[in-house]
Amino acid sequence: MGEAIVITSGKGGVGKTTTSANLGTALALQGKKVCLIDTDIGLRNLDVILGLENRIIYDLVDVIEGRCKVQQALVKDKRFDDGLFLLPAAQTTDKNAVNPEQMKTLITELKRDYDYILIDCPAGIEQGFKNAISGADRAIVVTTPEISAVRDADRIIGLLENEDIEPPKLIINRIRRHLMNNGDSLDVNDITTHLSIDLLGIILDDENVISSSNKGEPVVMDPSNPAAIGYRNIARRILGESVPLMSVDKGKTGFFGKLKAIFSR
Amino acid sequence: MTKQQYVTIKGTKEGLVLRLDDKCAYSEMIAELRRKVEDDGLEGLAEVQIHTGSRYCNEEELKEIMNTIHGSPNLRVSKIQSDVITMEECNRKVLENQSETYIGIVRSGQVVKAEGDLVVVGDVNPNGRVVAAGSIYVLGRLKGIAHAGSNGNTKAVIAASWLEATHLIIADKMETMTDELTILSEQPEMECAYLHPNGFIAIDRLQELRILRPGLSSFKGGS
Repeated sequence: MGEAIVITSGKGGVGKTTTSANLGTALALQGKKVCLIDTDIGLRNLDVILGLENRIIYDLVDVIEGRCKVQQALVKDKRFDDGLFLLPAAQTTDKNAVNPEQMKTLITELKRDYDYILIDCPAGIEQGFKNAISGADRAIVVTTPEISAVRDADRIIGLLENEDIEPPKLIINRIRRHLMNNGDSLDVNDITTHLSIDLLGIILDDENVISSSNKGEPVVMDPSNPAAIGYRNIARRILGESVPLMSVDKGKTGFFGKLKAIFSR
Repeated sequence: MTKQQYVTIKGTKEGLVLRLDDKCAYSEMIAELRRKVEDDGLEGLAEVQIHTGSRYCNEEELKEIMNTIHGSPNLRVSKIQSDVITMEECNRKVLENQSETYIGIVRSGQVVKAEGDLVVVGDVNPNGRVVAAGSIYVLGRLKGIAHAGSNGNTKAVIAASWLEATHLIIADKMETMTDELTILSEQPEMECAYLHPNGFIAIDRLQELRILRPGLSSFKGGS
């Protein structure tokens, strides 16, 4: 019996889809059988980021409405030997085409065959959000070190806490080292104290995330990339390993830096 | 004594006390009261307190008693005292006087309401709202909206370990906590907000509350 994890944020553009793609890939790299579900009906993206757009035949709404079996709609990622599958969202209809009960049934069915079901949630708190969280056992809230994203995350956490799922965990995405170190953006500590939930991991901002997404190849495939390391660490934490948190002010502290830090205290 | 007295008058330090018998019929009592008031040989103005004992008087009956007494130019009712209240009134009083405790974080978009006082153990985040007919006490950071005395109680206060609210409302007076406001402190730690006699919301140290609102303390016992 697998576990269903919804990836949500409230605000759009903070990296839900990128996080879903990369965590799914990272879990598949760890040898787990993963199914990604794109619930952003009408505005699907997850297929593009995974480079699976051209292989789509059926979609989520086809499955829900009984036009095909789940197995027929699942798109296999050939880079992983039976490890990573995608259930794409429909593009021609809207979020009201599906209801939470149907999602729950679908996810329960998928949990029998997969270790992890990652549900990519659409932005907002309306029908699409309700559908996405309905079948989830756990939730991951993605935010960025921006006040607007943190406010929306707070709202989402409040809604999640009223649901029958485990307390949500936090990912702080797109951290810019110099901004955070200069105090020009919220720091990791501020955000976690404000939201008072467990931190699952942080992702440093990196240009390659965008370029690799454009190529349809999640950045997590490159083991040396700082953002990829962040995603891999999170995947290991999901699997239950204890991995220390990446340091944000890495690269600043040489011998003199440390000396300076002592005197500037 | 040939006849039982239904209305007894007593002089005390606080003025006259009219004790109305609670066993007789209401009409007998009011008739005697009328008689007593009329043939009273008082001079000057006297304050009277009315004790109705175990008789429950509704609004109209109380009005009639008041009017009867005010029929004499020398008497003025200062207070009406009764040993009984209705269940309804009692329940309302219980609700108003009880303190409800909310343990958790009041997050953006959430509203926590209380009929009496409200104690929040946790933070109130921006866009989170706490409302109480009584006072609000936050053991944590108050960073959202707080409305104390929502039924119009101007004596209600808002106290917090960290008072950094965006909006403070007491009774029907609202204050937006903007930068221009001079009452804000750099370190808003252990503070309370109250309605100043000048009509504006003021903020002071938590420790001043015992002087500002001594009546809020409901503590009994100890030594």
